[in-house]
Amino acid sequence: MKIGEAEVRHVARLAELAVAETDLPLLATQLEGIVTFVAQLDEASVPADSTAVAVGPERLTLREDVVNPIPMRHGPEAMAPVFIDGFFVVPKLGGMAEE
Amino acid sequence: MSAHDLAVETGRRFAEAAPLNATLHWSQDVLDREAARLSVTPDGPLTGMAIAIKDNIVTTEEPTTCASKILAGYISPFEATVISRLRSAGAMVAGKANLDEFAMGSSTENSAYGRVLHPLDHSRVPGGSSGGSAVLVAAGVVPAALGSETGGSVRQPAAFCGVVGVKPSYARVSRFGLVAFGSSLDCISVFGRTVDDAARVLAVMSGHDPRDSTTRAEPPMQLPVPRTDLRGVVVGLPREYFPADLDPGIRAGCDRAIAAMKELGATVREVSLPHTRYAVPTYYIVNPAEAAANLARFDGVRYGPRHVGSGADVRALYQATRGEGFGPEVRRRILVGTFVLSAGYADQYYVRAQAVRKLIADDFARVFADGVDLLFTPTTPTPAFKAGEKTTDPVQMYLADVFVAPASLAGVPAMSLPIGRDQGLPIGGQLIAADFDESRMLAVAGLLERTVDAVAEVRT
Repeated sequence: MKIGEAEVRHVARLAELAVAETDLPLLATQLEGIVTFVAQLDEASVPADSTAVAVGPERLTLREDVVNPIPMRHGPEAMAPVFIDGFFVVPKLGGMAEE
Repeated sequence: MSAHDLAVETGRRFAEAAPLNATLHWSQDVLDREAARLSVTPDGPLTGMAIAIKDNIVTTEEPTTCASKILAGYISPFEATVISRLRSAGAMVAGKANLDEFAMGSSTENSAYGRVLHPLDHSRVPGGSSGGSAVLVAAGVVPAALGSETGGSVRQPAAFCGVVGVKPSYARVSRFGLVAFGSSLDCISVFGRTVDDAARVLAVMSGHDPRDSTTRAEPPMQLPVPRTDLRGVVVGLPREYFPADLDPGIRAGCDRAIAAMKELGATVREVSLPHTRYAVPTYYIVNPAEAAANLARFDGVRYGPRHVGSGADVRALYQATRGEGFGPEVRRRILVGTFVLSAGYADQYYVRAQAVRKLIADDFARVFADGVDLLFTPTTPTPAFKAGEKTTDPVQMYLADVFVAPASLAGVPAMSLPIGRDQGLPIGGQLIAADFDESRMLAVAGLLERTVDAVAEVRT
């Protein structure tokens, strides 16, 4: 399928990823190449009653319902870019507040 | 060797190997602290073994960056379960190895901290994404190293570098403390100088972990019982892995290993895994989809450097931080993953890929149910390629995974072991076993290792 710059811009916005306008042509070419490549799955004959593969344990093992904190060497204040009075600080929500 | 001497010797080797760029973080101070800890720790199954760790597995003594700018300087407040288990077993955690950024790549050219050099030919790649770990073992810095596999990221570099690389069954080893990439595929895996080194590390790491509910409630893997012959072992050769245009050196190496298995008494027969050709396209839908979801957590709020962006609101923060922090391949995968999950396309791509993945897994189940104990294949379609050779075309790079992606999709254990060299470059042979049958696979590999000359030229 054809992927243009508008498609890349749209997907980048969904992914919350800044992409420079100058990078759009190359990304569109590469994404189109990848999507064309994976589209060969259309040739696979998949039975109508097929199910998705399930990996891992047949059923998840439940833990005892007790709080068992993982010992931490340091708290979030040592890792976060801005952390004040027990809170992660972010800029104003802007347009996201309405979404 | 005392723990102190091991720390000094390991430090000397790290320093000597520095030009290969295989290590992201190590210090003599941390090695000395490990030695001090070990000098008062009772001996265990890994006493005396220094182990390097891929830098996407969290440790508390050194940073964990996933070779990404977005995690520059990050130091985890807790350590991975596998690290705790290795340390309790007497191992020295010896440093953090370079990788493709967030384990995305097949050549370790995608690290934000520079590419890793192949130890035998610096113009070539060591494979990836766990290239740093493979090189540290191949260069003799450490006898074993942890890597992680999502779709061949240990077996492929093991083959390129001439060392042993083992991917356990999915759900065999705890992933608590592995930075998540493709959650239905990720497996912490191991490199060894020998099959025995890798097996001992895997045995210690394996087993249920209450902190990772995706581990299966099975006891740890048993060490393989050494074999003296292969009588009674049925080895399948999937015809899809031996195409007519297979690299002649790879074919010669495999032929020699197959002849050795027959001589040791194995029954060798051709089998078919008919959906093999769909494995790479399936993988490159499932993997980016899961990556796009897992990497949503890197947003400049809780850890890592932050970029505020021009809009001065939270969306600008997310976009600028991620746009600045992720390298080209990570950005591509996030975009592809977001695309295949987006409205209108999810059924066409992601849902279909999951259905084809089932067909691929069923292929393996069918041959193992039909009396085959192990499959033998080449690990890679070619020996180590030149740096820069595949960087301009992502699809060409993805095709380097053609023989390793299927076992990852099916969740079955698989390994690569060196089976010879072609024009000086190592060749890997791959063994694939049924789910949770690692011990048999490792026992056969151990005998092959003693029988097949791993450094002899396969074409004379």
